Amino acid sequence: MNTFTYQMRVRHSEGALVRILGLTRRRRFDVIQFFAQPSPDGDFMDIEMTVRSARQGPTLARQLANLLDVTSVGFLVAEKAIAEKAIAPQAASVAC
Amino acid sequence: MNGAQHLIQALEQEGVDVIFGYPGGAIMPVYDALLDSKIRHILVRHEQAAALAADGYARATGKVGICMATSGPGATNLVTGIANAFMDSVPIVAITGQVPTSLLGTDAFQEVDIFGITLPVVKHSFLVDSADGLGEVVHEAFRIAATGRPGPVLIDLPKDIANAVAEFAPAPSHGAAISLKPAYKDITRAAELMRQSSRPVIYAGGGIGMARAVSEFRDFAELTGVPVVATLKGLGVLPPSHELFLGMMGMHGNQAANFAVQESDLLICIGVRFDDRATGKLATFAPHARVLHMDADASEIGKLRAADAAVVGDIRFALAQLAFVLPISEWREKCAAAKAEYAWKYQRSSSGEIDARYFLKRLSELAGEDAVVTSDVGQHQMWVAQHWQVARPENHLSSGGLGTMGFGLPAAIGAQLGRPDALVINITGDGSIMMNLQELVTLRRYDLPVKIVLFDNQALGMVRQWQELFHNERYSEVDLSDNPDFTAVAKSMGISSFRAERESEVEPAIGRLLNESGPVLAHVAIHPKANVWPIVGPGKSNSEMLEEEAR
Ligand SMILES: Cc1ncc(C[n+]2csc(CCOP(=O)(O)OP(=O)(O)O)c2C)c(N)n1
Ligand SMILES: [Mg+2]
Repeated sequence: MNTFTYQMRVRHSEGALVRILGLTRRRRFDVIQFFAQPSPDGDFMDIEMTVRSARQGPTLARQLANLLDVTSVGFLVAEKAIAEKAIAPQAASVAC
Repeated sequence: MNGAQHLIQALEQEGVDVIFGYPGGAIMPVYDALLDSKIRHILVRHEQAAALAADGYARATGKVGICMATSGPGATNLVTGIANAFMDSVPIVAITGQVPTSLLGTDAFQEVDIFGITLPVVKHSFLVDSADGLGEVVHEAFRIAATGRPGPVLIDLPKDIANAVAEFAPAPSHGAAISLKPAYKDITRAAELMRQSSRPVIYAGGGIGMARAVSEFRDFAELTGVPVVATLKGLGVLPPSHELFLGMMGMHGNQAANFAVQESDLLICIGVRFDDRATGKLATFAPHARVLHMDADASEIGKLRAADAAVVGDIRFALAQLAFVLPISEWREKCAAAKAEYAWKYQRSSSGEIDARYFLKRLSELAGEDAVVTSDVGQHQMWVAQHWQVARPENHLSSGGLGTMGFGLPAAIGAQLGRPDALVINITGDGSIMMNLQELVTLRRYDLPVKIVLFDNQALGMVRQWQELFHNERYSEVDLSDNPDFTAVAKSMGISSFRAERESEVEPAIGRLLNESGPVLAHVAIHPKANVWPIVGPGKSNSEMLEEEAR
């Protein structure tokens, strides 16, 4: 089991949070911590989510980045940042 | 104009010519608006068929398919079709009526949370909250469905919003479609791997057809001279007779294709997702190969097998950049020899019964390479994949990811409406046909000249085969010997039909099927114990294929 942390900026739109949590569960990642707060303009939410899984962390980062409401994803393994933002440039450009 | 009229106008602006649907209370304003539109509505007899027909339309034409249903049971009936499109990355837009906004969340009559129910099987979804923004939602839905890795998009439309008067909303100008050029450094790395390889194989998937990259793919394959194997959805990237094409890989693939993959030192994976039906036991899949993975979707890279190099973005660019000659003639000859050795052999049956494999081969030859074949799910689907001469991916419509029994007939309806001049043939089984049998009435209603071949083995044959081979012949709930008289059923729905059961009837049956105008159903009896060979057992490696003699 590994622990991964993702930092996301998410558009505040219908179902955005459920999409993120649903995808995370379906891909067999167990959420152990979740913080969300509105961005200053209220249009976005800034999320930090920590999960546990036997699966590959970067794969979930790319899958999260594919969600259209997710505008950026940062990915950290065990507190150590290994990739920041725009994990999937193609997805990010679609979402923006 | 009200919201419903805006919706229809936006669909017209998107060039929609046909919608597959079924009306009901919550979607009535849209059906009212449809009366004043040139868009053709096809009334199916079950909403699942609407979604699957939209899927078939999209696969056959490359355009976005549209289906529509009312709230509650209408919407839930669409779900299988939406999931089918999701699994195979097919661009469809599904429109559902919903209870009025004020009743949302109150368990109102025919209220279901279709937005929530479909979340895992859509690329994106909208619950419309204002009539003014409806046009924009439709345009956005089309853009999302068709760009990048395609997929289904749901628009859930509450009835009060469909009825609300809205400002005229001009069509938002469509920016140029986003097509992402792969990074130069990734192309360079990919080229390096190709140059270092002496036994490369191209593992070609459905992403090639979906990206409309077949012509770039063919140039790439021919210039590099790399042998090609295809997944079920990749069939047609090269014609089967092409010298570089080794056949379908995987569980029911060709021995030559699986041999080449297992022996290769570089797998050039294009538009694939390492599905377990294709790879067999993943740990022993292509054990000596490095992996070069090209895909529109970054999240496929490394999902199941680590990539030594990856090229993400529009594969047409990547293929054009990477098309250079490779000095691998010895390897190519080895693969060609395997292809010759394992070529399908068609023997006359000693019992005089019809062999589905030979029937399909002959029908495919006589139908010609422009024919579109749709398949249901089961043994007959695998025989189609093995024995049909698929000339282009958009001519072979098969439910790959979800494996949806009942796909074939609605998909044929969609394909025939999308390509009215094409010869469309549905190959089905006695189990699968019953899943959307009611759509025979739709064929008659719109006089769609779809030809149906129903292979009747009096069984859920594929499940029966697994029980025979992997469950010690413990047959459980696979017997269909109480099938109805399918010719009589078809006739009662206005479809011309006939039965064939002897080998001597194959040529006349095919002749009648192809020459009779309008829809025709051929009820073809085959042996109940005919099996699909070769086969890789569940959990086994692709190098452990069982042949018929090895039973
Ligand atoms: C909707 C659905 N239910 C169940 C299955 C499981 N399944 C796969 S193949 C098959 C048998 C199909 O029977 P038939 O259409 O007669 O084809 P055959 O294998 O006999 O050629 C079944 C039940 C499925 N794929 N889809
Ligand atoms: Mg059957």
